[in-house]
Amino acid sequence: MKYRLRVNGGTRDVDVPRGTQLLEVLRDDLGLTGARYGCGRGQCGACFVLADSGRGPRAVASCLMAVDQAATVEITTVEGLAHDSELHPVQEAFAAGDAMQCGYCTSGMVISAVALLASSPKPSDAEIRDALAPNLCRCGVYTRAIRAVKRAAG
Amino acid sequence: MSREVSERAARVAPASRGSAPDAPIPNLVEQRIRFEPDGSVTAFSGKIEFGQGIRTAFAQIVAEELRLDPERVRMVMGDTAQVPFDRGTFGSRSIAQDGDALRKAAAYAREQLLRRASEKLGVARERLTIADGAVRDGGVRDGSRGLTYAALAADPPLAGEVPDDVPLTPASEHRVLGRPRARVEARDIVTGRATYVADVRLDGMLHGKRLQPPVRGARLRSLDDAAARAMPGVRVVRDGDFAGVVAERAAQAQAALDALEADWTSPNGDDQQTVVIPMREDDGVDAALASAAHVVEASYVLPYISNAPIGPSAAVADVRADEATIYAGTQRPFGLRTEIASALGLAEERVRVVPRMPSGTYGRNSVGDASFEAAMLSRLAKRPVLVQWTREEEFTYAPARPAAVLDAKVGVGADGSLVAWRYDEHTNAHGYGFAVDPRVAPFTSGRNAIPPYRFGKGRITLYIEPTPVRTASFRSLAAAENVFAIESLLDELAFAARTDPLTFRLRHIDDPRLRRVVEAVAERATLGERSSAGLGKGLACTIYHGTYCAQVAEVVIAANGTPRLTRFWCAVDPGLVVNPDGVRNQIEGGIQQSASWTLLEELGQRDGRITTTGWDTYPIATFRDAPEEIDVHVMGDEAKPSTGVGEPGTVPVAAAIANAIFAACGARVRELPIGAERVRRARPNG
Ligand code: FES
Ligand code: FES
Repeated sequence: MKYRLRVNGGTRDVDVPRGTQLLEVLRDDLGLTGARYGCGRGQCGACFVLADSGRGPRAVASCLMAVDQAATVEITTVEGLAHDSELHPVQEAFAAGDAMQCGYCTSGMVISAVALLASSPKPSDAEIRDALAPNLCRCGVYTRAIRAVKRAAG
Repeated sequence: MSREVSERAARVAPASRGSAPDAPIPNLVEQRIRFEPDGSVTAFSGKIEFGQGIRTAFAQIVAEELRLDPERVRMVMGDTAQVPFDRGTFGSRSIAQDGDALRKAAAYAREQLLRRASEKLGVARERLTIADGAVRDGGVRDGSRGLTYAALAADPPLAGEVPDDVPLTPASEHRVLGRPRARVEARDIVTGRATYVADVRLDGMLHGKRLQPPVRGARLRSLDDAAARAMPGVRVVRDGDFAGVVAERAAQAQAALDALEADWTSPNGDDQQTVVIPMREDDGVDAALASAAHVVEASYVLPYISNAPIGPSAAVADVRADEATIYAGTQRPFGLRTEIASALGLAEERVRVVPRMPSGTYGRNSVGDASFEAAMLSRLAKRPVLVQWTREEEFTYAPARPAAVLDAKVGVGADGSLVAWRYDEHTNAHGYGFAVDPRVAPFTSGRNAIPPYRFGKGRITLYIEPTPVRTASFRSLAAAENVFAIESLLDELAFAARTDPLTFRLRHIDDPRLRRVVEAVAERATLGERSSAGLGKGLACTIYHGTYCAQVAEVVIAANGTPRLTRFWCAVDPGLVVNPDGVRNQIEGGIQQSASWTLLEELGQRDGRITTTGWDTYPIATFRDAPEEIDVHVMGDEAKPSTGVGEPGTVPVAAAIANAIFAACGARVRELPIGAERVRRARPNG
């Protein structure tokens, strides 16, 4: 089945079985491995991408979104956040604050933080915790990540 | 993609080394440092980076001794075709051991190059200066007579064993060491470009899944694969009890796996015995206990828990007729190479293990399951194969942290001093296999069973008991278990002797470095100040592999008994500090992870079969559980060798939290995880 996807500001054509997870399409067909597999069930946030259906970007689990649905929205992955090698402020803040260890969860956290700041530019601590709660981190960088999001908010 | 493939052509390690487990590994400068024509340096280590920050620390170490900007040092780590033999990355020993070897190799190279430059330029050593990867005559101002490191090192090639007494740059002259430094991988990680094992893509690569046996040692009696074979793009492969599927797409492989109908025979129950290891046996323990003014007798219990990495195990293998390349998230690339070579029937030097970043892993990647599966599937399918375990497979098949029951009977004399310490540690194997080596076990399963206090007469015994659950090493091994018991006990003893926990500890500590961190953390956390109802602070400490670590937890208990960790303090002395922010990050993460073990985690199992399948049934701490503040006070000691920080931060946490809960509401909880119900049951008035 052929699909035309809008990803990271461009269009990409793929030919994959109907119902294929967006996560698999990104990683195996489009070479965008920044969205990571963690659970496949919407429970960890490692696979998060931004999906925009015209009302602003939302962080969604690409492991739960079928390619059919993905074709109806604008997708931004972590690879699409930096422009001309200039990092997005959230990326900048995570890197500067060393808000990572293994970094496996980082893509998803960055995506959730970008979505949060798009709808709430000056979030409180509690808002940050709530918005990022779907993103699990086993290495335990939560307190640093909260600081990084605040720093990105300026 | 092509880069991965072209790496196949790189040179293969000359010969296998290091079969004897404790043979010293020679430190050869040519295996450690390579001077590049552009003035940069490539340095080699058999250790693995998996989020603990050692790639950055190693680059700092080499840069310091060679007087370079750390940006100019590139670390090659763990690739068996390129790096010197190494036993593995564990025990928080990387900086202490390999950092030291690299430091000496870099210092030795610098001294040799200076000697050569002095001869070539005909200038006394003392007049030479070094900067930016070149040696110059400091007496000449035009700067034209510089000799680059690369040129100096080339002829004859710099080689030889690094002497142990090579002069190191003194701490007072450090320009790179001891300064905070952002991780070298940071930019790749935040942009998604970092390549983890599961991101390796080779030409012609298939997705593979192994049909997992229901229990260890089960044999495959029959396999009905008709439905799987009928699926498009799928092949079923089998070699004896090993069976699996490969497919063009990941989802196809999963569907085909689900369609296999297998009949397994149960293995004969193995008749493993409990191994009993005396760790300390003083005469007169029982008499001392009988004469004690206060005796505390208590049992502490810890459940099996999971490593639970956010990314489940993965590996990529490309097995050809006479050679194999494995991309793996292993902590033991050379050990894995041996295992894979023997599984494939290849000579070791025909197998190359190329480490890629795994998702954070906390001991579990000492076991190379996914690599083995990928290698077998690739050999059978004659194509490169990616194996990606599902979340459920990770919970079900990955080895767990052993369970533990710690039985203690400890006495305090009338003067408030410890007089007798009886302690039985019951746990399971913390090793890599199932056989227990009684010479090694005290350092793994018995780690930190001996308290760092003056405790009078002692009888400390380790019992390693068989279990149907697959267990293996996990961050800090048995230290987290033993220190939960020992540091809870210290508070219980202090309470019995009507002393405050800080004074009681200090009275029994001889080691000045332990005393220093305990006093520091107590002061920073204002321990002992009266706090409001429902809020409590608890102290705990440890010496872990030479690192001194003292902690205070602050908890608030909700009316229903739910404990919430609100703040945390830690004072740590890891000797010479390479990267203070790296230390802080590791300790903070260790605290956060260990708080999650303590308050939330327990792996479900029935007769050895794991029943936990996902994050819904194995909750870990989330952003909502994170304390408001984790204050890490790094109090290094420049005169002491660097010791590790990856594990020590996790070790005292459970006891600090349990002691804080007791301080907050009088509930002494001796079994983990500590949830609302256990607090309610232990609370004096429910
Ligand atoms: S992989 Fe999608 S939420 Fe876990
Ligand atoms: S940094 Fe390792 S899981 Fe978050």
